[in-house]
Amino acid sequence: MNFEWTPEEAAFRQRLQDFLAVTLPDDWERFSQHGPASPALTKYAETFCGKLAEEGLLTPHWPKAIGGQGLDPWHQAILAEEMWIAGEPRGGQYMNVNWVGPTLIKYGSADQQARYLPPISEGKALWCQGFSEPGSGSDLASLRTRAVLDGDNYRVSGQKIWTSYAGLADTCFLVCRTSDDRKKGISILLVPMDTPGITVRQIPSLIGEGDIHEVFFDDCVVPVSARLGDEGQAWEIIGYSLTNERLGIPRYALARAALDRAVSLLQAQAEFASEAVKLEAAHAAALCEAARMASYAIIDCRSRGEAIGAESSSARFATVMAERKVAEFVVEYLPEALADAHPYLKMHHQRGIVAGIAAGAAEIQLNIIATDVLKLPREPR
Amino acid sequence: MDLALSSDQIAILDAIDSLAKPYAAAPTHEAGFAMVSDALDRELAEGGFLDVAFDPDLGAVSAALIIERLARLPYAIEAAASALVRPLLGDDVSRPLCLVMEGKHARPIRFLKAGATVIVTGHETVSSFTVSQDQARAEDTLFGYPMGTLLIDPATVAMPCPDVSPEAVLVRWRVGLAAEAAGLLAAALGSTATYVTDRQQFGRPLATFQAIRHRLAEAQVRTNGVYWLAMKAAGTLDPGDAALAALHAQESARATVYDFHQFLGAMGMTLEHPLHLWTYRLKALIGALGGRGAQGLAAADAIWG
Repeated sequence: MNFEWTPEEAAFRQRLQDFLAVTLPDDWERFSQHGPASPALTKYAETFCGKLAEEGLLTPHWPKAIGGQGLDPWHQAILAEEMWIAGEPRGGQYMNVNWVGPTLIKYGSADQQARYLPPISEGKALWCQGFSEPGSGSDLASLRTRAVLDGDNYRVSGQKIWTSYAGLADTCFLVCRTSDDRKKGISILLVPMDTPGITVRQIPSLIGEGDIHEVFFDDCVVPVSARLGDEGQAWEIIGYSLTNERLGIPRYALARAALDRAVSLLQAQAEFASEAVKLEAAHAAALCEAARMASYAIIDCRSRGEAIGAESSSARFATVMAERKVAEFVVEYLPEALADAHPYLKMHHQRGIVAGIAAGAAEIQLNIIATDVLKLPREPR
Repeated sequence: MDLALSSDQIAILDAIDSLAKPYAAAPTHEAGFAMVSDALDRELAEGGFLDVAFDPDLGAVSAALIIERLARLPYAIEAAASALVRPLLGDDVSRPLCLVMEGKHARPIRFLKAGATVIVTGHETVSSFTVSQDQARAEDTLFGYPMGTLLIDPATVAMPCPDVSPEAVLVRWRVGLAAEAAGLLAAALGSTATYVTDRQQFGRPLATFQAIRHRLAEAQVRTNGVYWLAMKAAGTLDPGDAALAALHAQESARATVYDFHQFLGAMGMTLEHPLHLWTYRLKALIGALGGRGAQGLAAADAIWG
């Protein structure tokens, strides 16, 4: 075991920090409060991701054959940490490089890869994730949006909800039903959002403008060639995607950065002398670092080419614990952080509530840990 | 960053598993609050397992791995102080080692007996002495360790260790505590998981009830976190890392110990089930080094000044 970064890894992190320092606008922290899915940040993200791409920093962990540099998962983790600590200036494009692209690389046809990967690696694409439905949240396999084969096309009808980025996305990673088999009857279609019959409505949210939507599919015609993988292969593909998604957002890093910022502010106000405050801050730091190390253990497995299993759910729940503790600390000891005076902390708090929900509810992670890590017998259904 | 075990570490842990195999089975009847084995202790010492941190190529991480693995056994073994703190003092120091905070010597001390070396750590100095027969009394406690009480004030007999910094002792003490807690948590969690899988109520295993599954899953998350924070702190020997590791260990022990017993129902109140051999050691570790408050303040001071 070696817990030191290699000189090359440290230099990569420094390079990212230098890039962020010169690239982000002076009012970035205030600007970032718009939320990663807002029109303002989405527009800025195109500029920012374009510059990242020019520097070879948008998809450095992708294979060289498709525009990446073949860097290992540790570089992917460092990149994700620095972007999240900065307030995620990639906006919704973080999904592209974290899991949409890798999923297309693994399961996409040559035509799909040729169509969708270049815009992602140039910083010009925005995807949304058509998973949840009004009756199918944690119980995703109960989804009802149906794709019926009609010659060379599918006709898609149904409704998605709580869909991030849908208002401005150009393509939907749509999970839909192609037969009645609960899990083997689910398929994935890559659907352009300008397909006739799609209607998007924004839902006001706690996490910023433009983040959550309803998406209606009214007899949309989607060519069979837009199907990712085989019919009925969605459950396998989703598992791969979610494993990447769960590891792709290092919320522990932003939580720890927010905690450090909060402590610094308290120190400046001479309010960090109380032992009670210090103890709570230390508990929050411990949870952040525990989540970081649990995540690193998974990244380490991946860097050695080992399969990522249920332990990623353990790392994910550790991150939820950290995120909550930091948010609670700030609310209790620095309540002004939820106002405009401290935009960085406000941004963190605004986004933190997502931690236990996105990419699978925290309770689902606990179920996975109980069954697949602790090997407990399943609940009866 | 490379979190894989080295080939040496794999070989050491394999050797420990092999050596400890006869001691791995927990008793099922009246084990008492603490179990000790002089034979196991002797085999570990003779095998050099508690000396690995003297070798810079193996270092404190290898020691922490050994401490964690040994803690999973039902037997209480004085490994943490010997494997991590003793390298600061020299290999001629007699075991077991008993770590004491200056001014706190009146409390029961783990592994205290005649022949043990007591290490007293103060704010500015470290001192030590070898305990004689008339200086210690065995205590009958509720903790899962053999414990004794000092009958003298260490200040009257301890000799200064001028080359040893209190900070270095505290860092290694905290790392050892966290590594030991990680092993104890893993064993207690495993024992509880086995019981609730086997035990049927309402026509199905207790482990199928979500009320139990989720709390055990949270315990797994905590156990995993304690393990990694302990290993990282062993790797860096940074005061902040060590304090965070010890804090997370004590907090995680506090958060889980009563749950583990609760899930065993009345069986968790008996000495027929071995769970207490791990959880009642965790209870002792919760109060070590001044408890969570002291670790939290130490962490805050180390991290934020």
